[in-house]
Amino acid sequence: MWIAFSLLTVLAALAVLVPLARSGRAQARAGSAHDAEVYKAQLDEVGRDLDRGLISQEAAVAARTEIARRLIAADQAATRDATGEPGDAGRLRLRVVQMLAVVVVPLAAIGAYLAFGAPDIPDQPLVARLQASTQDRSLPELVARVEQHLAKDPEDGRGWDVLAPVYMRLGRPEDAAAAYAAAIRLLGPDVNRETDRGEALVVANNGIVSAEAHAAFERAVKLDPEAVKPRFFLALALTQENRREAAIAAWQDLLKDARGGEAWAEAVRIELAKLGVETAPAGEPVAGPSREDVKAAEGMAADERGAMIRSMVDGLDARLAADGGSTAEWLQLMRALAVLGDTDRLRQVIARAGEALKDDPAALAQVKSLARELGEGS
Amino acid sequence: MIIELGHFALILAFVLALVQCVVPVWGAVSGDRRLMAVAPPVAGMQFLLVGIAFAALSHAYVTSDFSVLNVVENSHSAKPDLYKITGVWGNHEGSLLLWVLILALFGALVAAFGRNIPADLRAATLGVQGWVTAAFLLFMLATSNPFLRVSPAPMEGNDLNPILQDVGLAIHPPLLYIGYVGFSIVFSFAIAALLLGRVDAAWARWVRPWTLLAWMFLTLGIAMGSYWAYYELGWGGYWFWDPVENASFMPWLAGTALLHSAIVMEKRGALKVWTVLLAILTFSLSLLGTFLVRSGVLTSVHAFATDPLRGTFILGILVAFIGGSLALYAWRAPLLKQGGLFAPVSREGALVLNNLLLTVAAVSVLVGTLYPLALEALTDEKISVGPPFFNLTFGPLMVPLLIAMPFGPLLAWKRGDLAAVSQRLYAVLGLALAATLVTAWAQGTEKILAALGVGLAAWVICGAVAEILSRARFRDVGLSTGLSRLYGLPGSAWGTALGHAGIGITLLGIVAVSAFEEEKVLTIRPGESVEIGDYRLAFGGLARRTGPNYIDDVGHFDIYRGGAKVAEADPAKRLYTARRMPTTEAGIVTFGLSQIYVSIGEVHADGGADIRLYHKPLVTLIWLGCLVMGGGAVVSLFDRRLRVGAPKPARRQLAAAE
Repeated sequence: MWIAFSLLTVLAALAVLVPLARSGRAQARAGSAHDAEVYKAQLDEVGRDLDRGLISQEAAVAARTEIARRLIAADQAATRDATGEPGDAGRLRLRVVQMLAVVVVPLAAIGAYLAFGAPDIPDQPLVARLQASTQDRSLPELVARVEQHLAKDPEDGRGWDVLAPVYMRLGRPEDAAAAYAAAIRLLGPDVNRETDRGEALVVANNGIVSAEAHAAFERAVKLDPEAVKPRFFLALALTQENRREAAIAAWQDLLKDARGGEAWAEAVRIELAKLGVETAPAGEPVAGPSREDVKAAEGMAADERGAMIRSMVDGLDARLAADGGSTAEWLQLMRALAVLGDTDRLRQVIARAGEALKDDPAALAQVKSLARELGEGS
Repeated sequence: MIIELGHFALILAFVLALVQCVVPVWGAVSGDRRLMAVAPPVAGMQFLLVGIAFAALSHAYVTSDFSVLNVVENSHSAKPDLYKITGVWGNHEGSLLLWVLILALFGALVAAFGRNIPADLRAATLGVQGWVTAAFLLFMLATSNPFLRVSPAPMEGNDLNPILQDVGLAIHPPLLYIGYVGFSIVFSFAIAALLLGRVDAAWARWVRPWTLLAWMFLTLGIAMGSYWAYYELGWGGYWFWDPVENASFMPWLAGTALLHSAIVMEKRGALKVWTVLLAILTFSLSLLGTFLVRSGVLTSVHAFATDPLRGTFILGILVAFIGGSLALYAWRAPLLKQGGLFAPVSREGALVLNNLLLTVAAVSVLVGTLYPLALEALTDEKISVGPPFFNLTFGPLMVPLLIAMPFGPLLAWKRGDLAAVSQRLYAVLGLALAATLVTAWAQGTEKILAALGVGLAAWVICGAVAEILSRARFRDVGLSTGLSRLYGLPGSAWGTALGHAGIGITLLGIVAVSAFEEEKVLTIRPGESVEIGDYRLAFGGLARRTGPNYIDDVGHFDIYRGGAKVAEADPAKRLYTARRMPTTEAGIVTFGLSQIYVSIGEVHADGGADIRLYHKPLVTLIWLGCLVMGGGAVVSLFDRRLRVGAPKPARRQLAAAE
């Protein structure tokens, strides 16, 4: 690489040096002398035009008179301009310019490159990266490989099945939902696929259980009436629809299956509390885990949950920073940061949302009102 | 390594541009031939280096190298190959690189083909070109470097703005930039003349072809942009008086004026000082356009950069170049010798009138473009200056210009005879009147303005034809000699005729579309059909199609005329998946010179769709006229003769006419 760099630099310096060395003696002719040449060429041209019959005899005579008039003026000017050129100042100029070419040009170029360039980063064409061995590759690279494979062979249900949960982990719930749908179509429905597809749809929809997600959970329950997760989401749907009685019944029904210590059971109790139903904490099971264990498990679940939210927040934040997004996405990010209690960052995001959505008054109003709701309004 | 080599080449080009700024100008001013001789090879090397940088960036795009930030932001691996290449200049940084590449190309062209230019003029010109190049390279390296890297590299890019994923992107920006940047060389010539304190014969001889070249590309670039907006945006409009369009139109108006004043200067040695000023103004308007588009002052598909630092930087370049060159003009212009007297009624006089009207028109567009921006900046009040303003100011300025157009080429240099020229235009006037009357008769008297517009277009077109025929002098020399004379006419004569006829053809298209267009907006369901003009369109329903990086809802229309099926149209509503952005793909069918234009709006659940339907009579003439103008420029460019416009002795001309 440095050979190519040096080659270019030498070429650049030569572009300055060679003409300096070559045309040392000839002095500049005065501009008026050059004028005279142009006029003489014009006279010849008139003659050629006349021969080809492009202009009439009269026009040619008139044109010649006109040119002759200018030629005389140019000749007079040339006599006036014909003065000698001193040589000493010229030698100094020559040295200065030679120094410029040999020293300043290479140093400035290489200095600036070292300041701004990234000589240690190689080219990374996509094809080469995808063909490289699978070892020490990042998750996104693997995803890209599977995506390329699926673009060629979209009927590979296994591929979709593998890809879908990875999408979820990368914070791409819409893609995850689509991948689950493809896996279901190709490999047939099962409880987990239907449930996970529904969950992906819920996450993609800011936590709201849409009709499509609802249908997925129902299919899952039909396949396995005992499954907890789909029932959990169906109860959540009832809560979101404000069907209080039905929701309470569903949550309580779900709680019956709790053995104690499950993270989801705690979530169910919180939901019930929100609906105004007090539940006794799970009875001490005879051979169950200790209170401390439960606490630890809960704590761990909360941490894990926190970590998950945080990674999703980071992903969303980066995406919004890089190429903007919809109003809903900005609002989602603000809510998430409020949940994490990261007020400094929340304030920054509010400011950035204001900047990004400044052309959309309706969106701005939404951002402002949510900011006020989250206690950051001004 | 290729990318880093490109980055290094770009930096080296900047350093070399600094050398090009100083050394040749120093040589020219102090009369040192050795220093002057540095200019051409350095200009050539400059082009080579920027070319390497451009090739390196293109390579990164083609191979989807997502370790380059610019590629991540503007490309996608699933994008078709053509758009991977055009995507290089479909963004702020890359388009700036293309801009500088063309700047360097023009410098290299002057270096290569400018052996006849006096050495000091050539050196000073290339030096000034170096100033412009250095300023833009500094801007690029400081605020908009396309070679910034990301590590670790992401696996996928954000894709190119879908509106730009079109063949138009391959043609429109390069043409337009060659036009814009081409005027830089004329600007450099003008500044060089001011620096050297003289406008000599070679100056006059060299400015015209360069102006012509830039003007030709600008004309074609604007026309291409207009056609692209017409088929891509889905509203069937070809010109919106949008500030970005105006930004390209102002240099065109000033450049057209420059083209004409350069003719006077080349042939008669008159209007030198004015031509220098026009050269400065034309490029200043090009720079202003760059500023408007890239500073974030405007929001549009062209507004790539909305970084305030970039805006400030460009504003700095703008102020330095426009302010500096005008100050230099004020200081040095009185030194330039005026030449060539002429009577008011003469070819020169007609060209002065042309210059006045075009300049005032450019000013009116400038006011209409800048006034709302200034008002918003000062008072926060948003107003929109739309077509009504331009129709009221620009329109009336064009009418006298077009009326005078056929007279100009027929007038003699230095002193003309208006009455004699009018006599020769009787037939043309008759044809124009006939065109007006026929239109009025066919379309009814309520469209009398349109009829007059058609008449004006006929006047301009027939005037151009009459001029070329009168040069052949069929009446005096008979048919066969006349034909051979016609064949032997100089390219510049054909260029004039084609350029003027092109304007008339474009005008005819504009008038026809504005006055006689039919528009229908409706909801249509499969199996239904709708009538427009003489045509009936039967809707066959919508189908979904998957493209490489988009999903299409394609509607199918069978077009019938008089019961027989004559064509099909497949307009589409397209969703680009990476950016989740919809675009419309209009279905356009050309019948002769007219077009049927369908675009799909909302798609309904029952298979129906909202459509916009137009019948646009003679619409293609708008762009065909531009092609004819461009053809005129080509013909004229091939006319490499030296010219002299000698006044014809009045007596002899009369004798010849008898």
